[in-house]
Amino acid sequence: MQVNLLDFWPRILEATQETLLMVSIALVLATVIGLPLGVALVVTRDHGLMENKIVFNVLNGVVNIFRSIPFIILLVAILPLTRLLVGTSIGTAAATVPLVLFSGPYIARLIESSLLDVNKGVIEAAQSMGATNWQIIYRVLLPEALSTIALNLTIASIGLVGASAMAGFVGGGGLGDLAISYGYQRFETDIMIVTVILLIIIVQAFQAIGNYLSKKLRRL
Amino acid sequence: MINFKNVSKVYEHEGEKLVAVNEVNLQVERGEIFGVIGFSGAGKSTLVRLVNQLEKPTEGEVLVDGQDVSSLSAKELRGMRRKISMIFQHFNLLESKTVYHNVAFPLILSGEPRDKVKKRVEKILDFVGLKDRANYYTDQLSGGQKQRVGIARALATSPDILLCDEATSALDPETTQSILELLRKIRDEYNVTILMITHEMNVVKDVCDRVAVMEDGEVIEQGSIFDLFTNPKHKTTHKFIQSVMKGDIPQSILIGIGENNHPRHIYRVTFLKEHAGEPVFSRIAKRFNVEVNILYGQILEIQETPFGNLIVELQGEDSEILKAVHYIEEVVSVERVMASAS
Repeated sequence: MQVNLLDFWPRILEATQETLLMVSIALVLATVIGLPLGVALVVTRDHGLMENKIVFNVLNGVVNIFRSIPFIILLVAILPLTRLLVGTSIGTAAATVPLVLFSGPYIARLIESSLLDVNKGVIEAAQSMGATNWQIIYRVLLPEALSTIALNLTIASIGLVGASAMAGFVGGGGLGDLAISYGYQRFETDIMIVTVILLIIIVQAFQAIGNYLSKKLRRL
Repeated sequence: MINFKNVSKVYEHEGEKLVAVNEVNLQVERGEIFGVIGFSGAGKSTLVRLVNQLEKPTEGEVLVDGQDVSSLSAKELRGMRRKISMIFQHFNLLESKTVYHNVAFPLILSGEPRDKVKKRVEKILDFVGLKDRANYYTDQLSGGQKQRVGIARALATSPDILLCDEATSALDPETTQSILELLRKIRDEYNVTILMITHEMNVVKDVCDRVAVMEDGEVIEQGSIFDLFTNPKHKTTHKFIQSVMKGDIPQSILIGIGENNHPRHIYRVTFLKEHAGEPVFSRIAKRFNVEVNILYGQILEIQETPFGNLIVELQGEDSEILKAVHYIEEVVSVERVMASAS
């Protein structure tokens, strides 16, 4: 039975909201995990501010392990954890858990590379002025890297849009879910096209916001 | 003020030892501008970083105001670093912050109250001539202006010592001069002791009181800038001097010195400090029957004293020339230039 696209709009709108909500919550939580992790990776590495081989190797290993698990596998593998945390394994809230675990370590890497780009000479200059390591982190490393971090978080958020669509496979809600259950499984081509267009608009909007923020943050 | 006592710094990389600084002994006096010159890889960058402990010595001690800096606790060291400022070849400014904020940075680090910071920053920016650039970002400044910001930042904490790490090496000659003038002004007005490292003899010549020459981690020669220029002992020192003062005689002059049976009398005359102002040539021209023809030469001003050498040809009877040479030898150094010199 064909679905009337006009009648279907409320459902599409709802799905769009779900996607945006999923992505933003996951982005915030993943950044909360990824930012300190990325900073730790930078400062504990060889010749870092607080060089510590053991801490670095452990963190580096953990991040690599999470980064090597395909999202679709992670999604299923952590179902028990998801159930424990949000009480259910289906729906938008449930999809957020694997999204955070998936993108947290990814964001850690992005933060790491942003911070490594900061001119070593500026760090040395701060040291020569008697800055403490913490002062260097929050007064030199983070402000100097902020513009790059904004761009990298844009990459992460677009990655999250893609991953959130995959979450549709386990009934995660959002535009991906819609595309799969109507467009794919029920051959509703026009719904498929609408969802894809909406996803394109979301990605374009994210990139535009990211570029704007990055430019603003270049000068604090 | 700064005292290096038998200081060595050895890096170990995958079992291989690299001696960056080798048993250096140096004494920098309060209020002087001391230069360390050397080619790249001579160890001067490491040397200057031993003073503020960005590098730790593997042997020996570095005393600042009589205090062994490597014995300080982390907290004491931070305090000490506020009194030892540093400027850099590539300026190392915060790109995300304005000129004002860059200069305020060391004061913010030590938690100074806002109004005090503002007063100090405005005063220092005025001193370095960047008052009207306070709200610019570093990418809107020229190289010379960036270094002025670096200098202002270094002065913000009213340091006793200023370390300059190739501070003019990224600048053009004219800008270099203006930065050197500023450094001199800092020494004169604030009595800041300046330790600068460079590979440019021009810089040393114009601003330093004393100089040490470094090669392969060792100080091979040191002394007042004038002594070094007039009486260099080491080959490397010689090379540096030649970079600003050509000691070679041009080929066009050498050709023909020994031609035919009338060898020409060509001499290299070197003027020294106390006689630099004396009119030796006009005197011998009047007193003896010789004519003086100046072929080539260069006079430099070192520490406000002229120094240099001239290549001259004396024409006339051999006996008269001999007498003339004897006469001027009492006040200047004279050396016959032979054909074989080519």
